[in-house]
Amino acid sequence: MIFIAILIGCILGAILGLNAPMISYTYSSYLAIAIIAALDSVFGGIASVIKKNFDLKIFVSGFFGNAILAILLTILGQKLNVDIYLAAIVVFVWRMFMNLGAIRRYYVEKWTDMIKNKATKEKKEENKEKVNEKS
Amino acid sequence: MTKKRTISIILGIMCFALTFGIFVQVRTIKSTDSTISQNQEANDLRDEILRYKERYDNRFKELEEAEKELETQREEATQNDSALKEAQEKITTGNKITGMTEVTGPGVTITLTDGKGIATSTLNPSELIVHDLDVLSVINELINAGAEAISINEQRWVLTTAISCRGNTIDINGERIGAPFTIKAIGLPEYLAGLERIGGYLEYMKQDGVGVNLEKSNNITIPKYSGVINFEYLKNVEE
Repeated sequence: MIFIAILIGCILGAILGLNAPMISYTYSSYLAIAIIAALDSVFGGIASVIKKNFDLKIFVSGFFGNAILAILLTILGQKLNVDIYLAAIVVFVWRMFMNLGAIRRYYVEKWTDMIKNKATKEKKEENKEKVNEKS
Repeated sequence: MTKKRTISIILGIMCFALTFGIFVQVRTIKSTDSTISQNQEANDLRDEILRYKERYDNRFKELEEAEKELETQREEATQNDSALKEAQEKITTGNKITGMTEVTGPGVTITLTDGKGIATSTLNPSELIVHDLDVLSVINELINAGAEAISINEQRWVLTTAISCRGNTIDINGERIGAPFTIKAIGLPEYLAGLERIGGYLEYMKQDGVGVNLEKSNNITIPKYSGVINFEYLKNVEE
């Protein structure tokens, strides 16, 4: 159900995005930072699922809130003539790598555990067979 | 069950927003044709140029709208007065001749492209390139053949137009234009096609190795002159 919804959302977004009118170049920098913020939220969500403290409300509010906040900061930076968006990009990408690291660690540990379990099981069986042969 | 449904709907909406944003952004950046350079300064400069270009385009659109508004206002004002109507008609014909309006009609399109020959295989590599004087000669022949309106790469040829050399580009109406040059002319197509005659300038350019292509058409649109013609010293002689 959830995967179907995600798939439908992605396909609809791609189709509409391909046919939507282009935004002007001035606003494309805002959209870019919003995309980075949203991507960061997605990775954060996956990481929180793995850590088993996923909360939908926090996820959704982070997704839209971070994007809007990033856009507002970029606008403020342009008004003050400071490249605040650089700081936003650094923070978001940093967090993205942290979350990716957490996800990676989880899966690598899972894999190694699985391989170990298999090996121990096989050993046990071998031992059992040996015991059987002896008896 | 309902909770799961709301979760999936929300996630779908979020995925939709994300992919939509990414696709729009990619298309926008693609259309600006800007490659990200490793040099921060070059990036900033390019960014600035694109911004100014956009602002210029917007202003230009506003100007066009204002001109349209002026036209309609004029028409409304002269609706009931025959003398004013005559003056209005004079203005429209005058604008048509001076190049202040977009015009359409039969004519020819001439495309001049730089020769593809190897520069070292000819005696004079300069012959392979379309020069400002080549364009000027072609335009001269077009006027001679009775062309009523001419444009070079969408730049209207008007009273004050001059063509000059700017390195590897040419300067027309203060705008830099590079090869290939598309020269459009409105007039009797049969006469204008006479430019291809043996001994004409196009023939001469072809012999030099320049790519020349002439096409007759019944429907050629020539844009209006985007600048302003301002005469300061011209006065009518009083009789």
